[in-house]
Amino acid sequence: MTSFLQYTIFGIILGAGFAIAATGLVVTYTTSGVFNFAHGAVGMIAAFSYWELVANHHVPVVLALVIILLIGAPIAGALVERVLMRRLHGATAERPIMVTLGLLVILTGVANIVWSPKNQYQLSPIVSGSFRQVSINLQYQQVLTIGIAIALVIGLRFLFSSTRTGVGLRAVVDDPGLLAMSGASPDAMSQYGWILGFVMAALAGVLLALTQEQTGISIVAMTLLVVNGYAAAIVGRLKNIPVTFIAAIVIGLLEDYIIYYALPHLSQGLNSDITLALPMVFLFIALVMLPSVRLRAVGRLSTVRVPRMPSGKESLLGGVAFFVLAVIASVVLSSAVVRGTNLLNLGGEIMALGIVGLSLVLLTGYSGQVSLCQFSFMGIGAFLMGKVAGGGSLLGLVAAALVCAVLGALVALPTLRLRALYFALATFAFADAVDQGFFQDSRVFGGGINVGRIILPGLSFGGNRSEFLLLSAFFVLVALLVLTIRRSLFGRRLVAMSDSPAAYATVGLNLAVTKVAVFAIAAALAGIAGGLYATVNGTVGSSDFDFFSGIIFVLFVTVWSIRTVSGAFLAAVTFVVLTTFWSTGLGLVAGAGIILIGRAASGILGIDRLSTLLPLPWVKRASGGGDSGTLAGIGITPMGGEARVAG
Amino acid sequence: MSPVDEPRLASEPNGGGLPALTVSQVSVSFGGVSALTDVNLVVPPGTVTGLIGPNGAGKTTLFNVISGLQEPDRGAIHFFDTDVTMMKPYRRARLGLARTFQRLELFGTLTAGENVQVGLESTVKWWQWRHLRKALWRNSGAESARGDSTAVDALIGSDALAVTTPDRLLAEVGLGGMSNEQANAMPTGLARTVELARGLAIGPKLLLLDEPGSGLDEAESQALGTLLVRLASTGMAVLLVEHDMELVMRICDRILVLDFGHVIATGTPEAIRSDPTVQAAYLGAGSTSGGTQ
Repeated sequence: MTSFLQYTIFGIILGAGFAIAATGLVVTYTTSGVFNFAHGAVGMIAAFSYWELVANHHVPVVLALVIILLIGAPIAGALVERVLMRRLHGATAERPIMVTLGLLVILTGVANIVWSPKNQYQLSPIVSGSFRQVSINLQYQQVLTIGIAIALVIGLRFLFSSTRTGVGLRAVVDDPGLLAMSGASPDAMSQYGWILGFVMAALAGVLLALTQEQTGISIVAMTLLVVNGYAAAIVGRLKNIPVTFIAAIVIGLLEDYIIYYALPHLSQGLNSDITLALPMVFLFIALVMLPSVRLRAVGRLSTVRVPRMPSGKESLLGGVAFFVLAVIASVVLSSAVVRGTNLLNLGGEIMALGIVGLSLVLLTGYSGQVSLCQFSFMGIGAFLMGKVAGGGSLLGLVAAALVCAVLGALVALPTLRLRALYFALATFAFADAVDQGFFQDSRVFGGGINVGRIILPGLSFGGNRSEFLLLSAFFVLVALLVLTIRRSLFGRRLVAMSDSPAAYATVGLNLAVTKVAVFAIAAALAGIAGGLYATVNGTVGSSDFDFFSGIIFVLFVTVWSIRTVSGAFLAAVTFVVLTTFWSTGLGLVAGAGIILIGRAASGILGIDRLSTLLPLPWVKRASGGGDSGTLAGIGITPMGGEARVAG
Repeated sequence: MSPVDEPRLASEPNGGGLPALTVSQVSVSFGGVSALTDVNLVVPPGTVTGLIGPNGAGKTTLFNVISGLQEPDRGAIHFFDTDVTMMKPYRRARLGLARTFQRLELFGTLTAGENVQVGLESTVKWWQWRHLRKALWRNSGAESARGDSTAVDALIGSDALAVTTPDRLLAEVGLGGMSNEQANAMPTGLARTVELARGLAIGPKLLLLDEPGSGLDEAESQALGTLLVRLASTGMAVLLVEHDMELVMRICDRILVLDFGHVIATGTPEAIRSDPTVQAAYLGAGSTSGGTQ
């Protein structure tokens, strides 16, 4: 009984930390309409800053907290709102998702440079000492965390429901124009919201870091620890602070009970995997439990100017030309080695990742579904390639395609009824759960699994050159397939569904069937890509498909152009080259790229004026929704159909 | 309030048959605000029925309820003899219920022709080889036209894809030669017409039009009126929300007036024009003629 009480108290303390994180998310969303994927990363930076000041430079705790919570976090929040978020007002749903993900990878990238993951970072409690109550030892630090959480919930509830500022903060999302007419400044209100959100993220980060007293803090764990807050915020539907608080406490309790009661009965390896995957499992469950979004006419016309679709003949010619270039490259680079890396193998990796990029063109570029789990399917494909028929068999590719298609459909089925943000969050949760719960399991990839080169009757792909050409051929074939799909009736439906779901339904088309179909096809393509990727170097490991890499790759495709075959290829080139030669800068470049590209939905390949790349406050702000329809306001001419050819 | 009686029409092409649409005692509220209260409405085939009322009267909410985008708190919707109250929007559309939107809901990144084509192909299974094959070589997979009937005539109660093409249908609504225009680059009036053509493309038996005249000049508005009357003459039921009173009074067989979610009058254009309740609530007291906004 005593241990149950002890676990309950610990669960409540853990939940209180989640509650602070979750309410911060709700505050940001309520006041800006943006779900901040970087919320956890902000908390992580705050936690490491606290370590830097207190543990490393021996700054007094109170002064450190003042510097972090009252100076650093507010300035960072104000800057992020002013430079990044204000330009996104009225943009399509995927833009804020991508920009906040960009911020996430930048912050983790910076943290990796400043605080080397090889070192240990231990923290001491803010207030030391403990007392005994009902046979349980309680630390003052734990009581402080609970007290802060309760005070915040009461304070925020009062702010939003009973003060003029709070009403203004909520109103700025609904109708900034109307708010301005009532004498308040929508920009200032929005900025207050981001400042408040950042302060709360920082506070949650510091308090949650102090719960990691025994293990020390790490960049990935701290960033993802706040994900428990995501689940609670989703239960509160991103607007209800009291419900969010209760949900956070319940999640804290559940996590504690599972860890202390259920996991000891499982094997040691599985135990740690499940512990790490729990936050994402909670998030996925919270999303699945959400009621269906009502289909509504939003009256916002998609104003993106898309590249002209090449005809079948043009596509075929382009494919042949690409393959001829690949043949020439295979001759020129046949024995080229840079810094110990065989360039043909690098080329093979590029082709395989290019196919993952093509799956994103189909899924996100055409149908508008933001998926953050393509690397998960890629990893599953690689695993199957290594395990089916002894590795290196075409049967492995078939298995990868089929298994991933079925998995893709299973992920899409419970979540397709959700709106774009929640769907993206579901794929985010799935990706991390697969990474932590499957890929990191020592029994899956272990130290890496061996995958032989593909063997076909009468054909050998044992040499690097033939392997590179095989993967190039696969890339060309998949590119032709994707372009053919876009020209087909199904492709028109994908674009139509993306442009207006309400109109799509009212012309007699079933959204659910189309979403599941495209998700399954894209998953199958990513699975095939994983299978092919595995054959390049003969061995693959869990680190090849880690969660953050998957997000970074999505960002690169978006930066180049998620609507074109060329964008997918260039993203693969950028990703592979950076991973090989400057892995530290991978996240920084991707994050900076997505932030610079701002609200231009067409990516670099769709930009014809450099001014788009400057997210500067004095660049005139667009008014109203959409992309290029409002881009005129910031000096951008929509991309001309005649001038550009997809692929 | 005038009673909702059986329609008395100047001409009833499908007279004696079931109404295309029957709305019975429908109520919708948002939070504490009542948007529709016990609304009744009957739209017979082969007629144009006007739905008018001031802004916020509940017209678009009623359209959303009829098309399935909004679930009513209570009441029932019948499409001919089928109860569609709980039916998903796409299933209603497959029965022959098409609509346009007050605020444009075009497939903006598709061309005008592709917008129509998505409608024409709405009953086609995308995995059929003959459709995939065309995509291998061409940008567009439009079927060739068959027969001598006009595109609009051919669509009524037919297999839409088999009888017309996007080009023909666009020409029919006055957008000939504009098939390759990207929809989001078109002026509002023309874009509304593309939306109308897309609605027609599914071969509807009932067409809900939410302010189709908005953004049109006088000549285009005249042409729209003529087209709607012609559609009705083929047996199609048309329910029209429109602020252009001249157009409504000219082409509607019957008009229903909504105010604050209540039906305050139904009747012929003449009856509505002279109805004192309508004049007081909508046209303005003392007004006896149309043409107001």
